[in-house]
Amino acid sequence: MRAAKSSRSNPRALCVRIVDEVVARRRYLDAALDEHLPRAPAAARAFIQEMAYGTLRWFHQLAAIAALLLERPLKQKDRDIHALLLIGLYQLRSMRLPAHAAVTETVAAAEALGKPWAKNLLNACLREYLRRAARLDEVIESDPVLQYSHPAWLTEEIRGVYPEHWEQVLAAGNERPPMVLRVNLLKNSRAEYLARLKTAGLAAAPHPAAESAVTLETPVAVAELPGFAQGCVSVQDAAAQLAAGLLDAQPGERVLDACAAPGGKTAHLLERTPTLAECLALDADPARTALIEQNLARLGLQARVVVGDAAAAATWWDGRPFARILADAPCSATGVIRRHPDIKLRRRPEDLPKLIETQRRILDGLWPLLSRGGKLLYATCSILPRENEQQIEAFLARHADAREAPLAPPVGLARAAGRQILPGMEGMDGFYYAGLRKI
Amino acid sequence: MALRTILHYPDPRLRRTAQPVAAVTDAIRALIADMAETMYGAPGIGLAAVQVDEPYRVVVIDISESRDQLQVFVNPEITSREGEQQMEEGCLSVPGIYEPVTRAARIKMRALDREGKPFELETAGLLATCIQHEVDHLDGKVFVDHLSRLKQSRIRKKLEKQSRLAM
Repeated sequence: MRAAKSSRSNPRALCVRIVDEVVARRRYLDAALDEHLPRAPAAARAFIQEMAYGTLRWFHQLAAIAALLLERPLKQKDRDIHALLLIGLYQLRSMRLPAHAAVTETVAAAEALGKPWAKNLLNACLREYLRRAARLDEVIESDPVLQYSHPAWLTEEIRGVYPEHWEQVLAAGNERPPMVLRVNLLKNSRAEYLARLKTAGLAAAPHPAAESAVTLETPVAVAELPGFAQGCVSVQDAAAQLAAGLLDAQPGERVLDACAAPGGKTAHLLERTPTLAECLALDADPARTALIEQNLARLGLQARVVVGDAAAAATWWDGRPFARILADAPCSATGVIRRHPDIKLRRRPEDLPKLIETQRRILDGLWPLLSRGGKLLYATCSILPRENEQQIEAFLARHADAREAPLAPPVGLARAAGRQILPGMEGMDGFYYAGLRKI
Repeated sequence: MALRTILHYPDPRLRRTAQPVAAVTDAIRALIADMAETMYGAPGIGLAAVQVDEPYRVVVIDISESRDQLQVFVNPEITSREGEQQMEEGCLSVPGIYEPVTRAARIKMRALDREGKPFELETAGLLATCIQHEVDHLDGKVFVDHLSRLKQSRIRKKLEKQSRLAM
């Protein structure tokens, strides 16, 4: 008899399924992990997650190495073996495992996938890799697409728009992101929360960019954060924590968060200014608006949560203007690749025109909702000027009653319009902000 | 000691009924050593002599994580079965296939050890499933026999195709 655990819960075989769903079906990595990880033995989950993140983070590089090692390409129906080979290469290149164990266990996983014929092939490729690693590294370093392991179109675009920073941006896309917390200042000061973390044995430091932000030295599960369930703290990158301050909503104002799910920025707006006349949290996806409600409930905050399309106000707007609008628009997410390496595989250049059109419709759709003298803060987690400053410049050209509103504090790099935080700046995610004032 | 070749379903030799061992001789002990090596190398948690084309009632099992708790059963006989449990089973003779099978949850059994000394055992859980799975082999049965006709024919086709490709 063979134990069932050597199949469905073989860590590497499970990791193959996760990686393949992202690569072949463009599934979100988070969703694939949520489905498959609970089937793994608890002790193996962190290991599988590390392999899945790492293999996707370095996919372009690993696939190029695999192509050099394979005598002929694998067939389409053997994508799982291809994924397993990349997982094996990732272990050899980046994980602290004895090489022989990584090879043996990766080869054995072919059996768990029901493809024992692939064992010889995997064994030969991985051993060949160990023999030729130095030479293969030279090949990789000769090509920035392979060296930084981003898709060619994105590498080219970033190189073109950031001639001084492109290598830094691509390298930052491969970093392991820090876990950054937003302290709920209604419930505890940052100093108080830092003390609680210290008592809990979690090393942390205040983040210089945002008054509520704390960087943990080592990521932990949220359940281990003191007071998480009681709403003392949330998880949010420092770059995203700048939104509330830049929008600068004042007591008594009516505020709209137009693309609100999962509600992190909505919650922050309310934590910063609890005495708003009203905060309306809008999102087009009913499943995701439920997340807003959950987040607010945990933090003990209240907003009006509405399902609706920011670009089609007629379907949900009551006609009363807003003094401030936050438009955190759908985007390529090219600023948060370090957090979501699957973006490198899911995002295609042909997605961009559609995203840019959506952003344009949202901006134009929201503008009539803003009161005179009111401010709209446009935000994306993109680093592509097409979605950012070019979008805003085009908007200003279309709307005679719009002026750019300078941002305080001036974050990131000044662009033709708005400000760009590049990934890695002060340890932050890549983010774009622009302020628009209605005259 | 030597690694033995494991027969693959639907090989007709898996259908033979194994004969009882008259005496646990050195030859049987050598077979046991080969079977253990073959099981650990596969890797598996149990192996019946029938699977390596030896028609004797001999089974080796090791369900430990550490792979150092070898159990040997010569002429095993299940004397009572109680309750039901379902476990996902796989088989070294049916590579790549894993299916849930319902078997008795608790069993009592007797057998001879590797010195030929009789012993009795009462057990449950994975070991109970594994013993039932291996004793089936001694009677010419494979775990897929417990599945639906449709599943059986799918598995047979898949494995026939695999063995053609391997040749």
